[in-house]
Amino acid sequence: MNNYQLMITADDKQVVLERILQVTRYRGFLISGINAKVNTGTNIGTIELLVRSERPIELLVDQINKLIDIKEVKVDNSAS
Amino acid sequence: MTTEKKLTGAGLLFNVLEQHGVEHVFGYPGGAIMPIYDALYDSKVEHFLCRHEQGAAFSAVGYARASGKVGVCFATSGPGATNLITGLADALADSIPVVAITGQVATAAMGSDAFQEIDIFGLSLACTKHSFQVTDINDLAKVLHQAFAIALEGRQGPVLVDIPKDIQITEVNRSLDELVNLENKVKLPPANVGSAIALLNQAKQPILYVGGGVGMANAIDELRDFAKITGLPSVSTLKGLGAIDPEDENYLGMLGMHGTKAANIAVQECDLLIAVGARFDDRVTGKLNEFAPHAKVIHFDIDTSEINKRRIADASILGDLKVNLPALAIPLAIKPWQAVCHEMNNNFAWDYNHPGESIFAPAVLKEISDKMPENSCVTTDVGQHQMWAAQHMVFDDPSNFLTSAGMGTMGFGIPAAVGAQVSRPTDCIIAVSGDGSFMMNVQELSTIKRFQLPVKIVLIDNAKLGMVRQWQDLFFNGRLSETDLADNPDFIMLANAFDIKAKMITKKSEVSAAIEEMLEHDGPYLLQVKIDAQENVWPLVPPNTANDKMMEST
Ligand SMILES: Cc1ncc(C[n+]2csc(CCOP(=O)(O)OP(=O)(O)O)c2C)c(N)n1
Ligand SMILES: [Mg+2]
Repeated sequence: MNNYQLMITADDKQVVLERILQVTRYRGFLISGINAKVNTGTNIGTIELLVRSERPIELLVDQINKLIDIKEVKVDNSAS
Repeated sequence: MTTEKKLTGAGLLFNVLEQHGVEHVFGYPGGAIMPIYDALYDSKVEHFLCRHEQGAAFSAVGYARASGKVGVCFATSGPGATNLITGLADALADSIPVVAITGQVATAAMGSDAFQEIDIFGLSLACTKHSFQVTDINDLAKVLHQAFAIALEGRQGPVLVDIPKDIQITEVNRSLDELVNLENKVKLPPANVGSAIALLNQAKQPILYVGGGVGMANAIDELRDFAKITGLPSVSTLKGLGAIDPEDENYLGMLGMHGTKAANIAVQECDLLIAVGARFDDRVTGKLNEFAPHAKVIHFDIDTSEINKRRIADASILGDLKVNLPALAIPLAIKPWQAVCHEMNNNFAWDYNHPGESIFAPAVLKEISDKMPENSCVTTDVGQHQMWAAQHMVFDDPSNFLTSAGMGTMGFGIPAAVGAQVSRPTDCIIAVSGDGSFMMNVQELSTIKRFQLPVKIVLIDNAKLGMVRQWQDLFFNGRLSETDLADNPDFIMLANAFDIKAKMITKKSEVSAAIEEMLEHDGPYLLQVKIDAQENVWPLVPPNTANDKMMEST
């Protein structure tokens, strides 16, 4: 199992967390931790996602990136 | 004098639909969508009442696939909305642009387990490209515009818009927003054109592997030019059929589980695979780590997430095929390899010799294909008859062959034919169905009757769930479990009950005249073709096996 940390920024829509969690589970990544908050001024949400999987992280990054409300997905390589 | 009616959310919906050029919608009314059905009354949009919401969704899919326009369907809340789901899943798997509008209980009642309330927005997450729930009337127009834009941008797909009843009846002002075009949401990395050209020039045995993305990108001309200039031998996926010119001498047919021997062997032997709008589906690759084992890969797609998903690409060419294919169209020195492929095409051509009196479905489908008018559109259901249609009918455009490829959904064929016929009223639409699949959306015969759609139905009747029976015989020691349909209804009587002319044939000698009668008939027609229940689809690559280890008979 590899551990990865993702930093996701997204439009603040009620459903966006559900979408991220659904895609993460479906694509074969287990969630070890999650931290989400919204900047009420900009209506931009930031989600920190700790995941683990046998699969390469690019698979998940590409799928989350496709979600319409997502602005950016970054992988923090320092997690292992 | 009548006072002018105030515009409501429901009326605004139709204004936006008209703004997007929507002329036809497929749907079924109910409580939570009644204001929309009321506004329909005043709209120019023509509504086709289907007899099940799944039928409406598949008709929207068939409409979109046959015409290249967005398919639109309506359903009420709760059971109406859940009945759409299979159609949305099908559209997602095959990347079909559909906009589904569902009624929802009023916002104040939402979350209270109200009558006919289901969280369709939540349910939609796994079976749509995107979805919306409108909770503020001021968002409605924008959301609807976005729904159309998202359905069409980049890799196409289904979008659901859930509209609570109170939003439908709220008054709005009349001005309409301008249409906006969405850019592909995901920023694409630059194409590896240089390395792709180098790979092309090095290759001695390259194969062009064509998928459904070519038709979706409307890049058929570009693909055919690419094939002609490069001289590449080519193979097609199920959804790609029709993209390559069927007359192209280098075309080897469909690859994969029921692909041609020539296509599968050529792919296994190739040293470069040029995948265009294809996604290395498991029905295509067989055992993945033995698929095209010697090949480098150039992968053209619009969807970043398809690159390296199932097979690592040595060069990826992301973006619009209409732009990217011409950029790589260079003549290749591959004469000896072409000759090998031509020889395989000759050696492994289909054999229509079939002893005995009983009807041979592949020959029937080939004869229909030879005799059907130009620009006919064939839909299929799912099973053996589907694979025989894919193998033995010839298509010159992907919009002329509509089959549930990614999802493999029985019940697709009849409602998809309804949608295709509505979008192309003067073309001949033929639904090739099986006796199992036909019964899955048989209620749509009523839609055919209601609108007098001249759909031709070819029912390949083996009185079995034939494809499952074939697997039980081959891979489950002949233990036939729940695949016998000897108690099927009288299909002729059934068709007649819907004012559909029908005929049954049981012998080879009856085939030609029956096909001609069907094609000449001015109106809907059902041709029931009785075949031997033991017939199998060949070749067959057994599950988890390399594609060159195909079975060709028992
Ligand atoms: C909705 C749905 N349920 C089940 C299946 C599994 N399945 C695939 S083919 C098949 C048999 C289809 O029978 P029929 O339509 O008579 O076609 P045949 O194979 O006999 O030509 C079944 C049950 C499916 N593809 N779709
Ligand atoms: Mg059958």
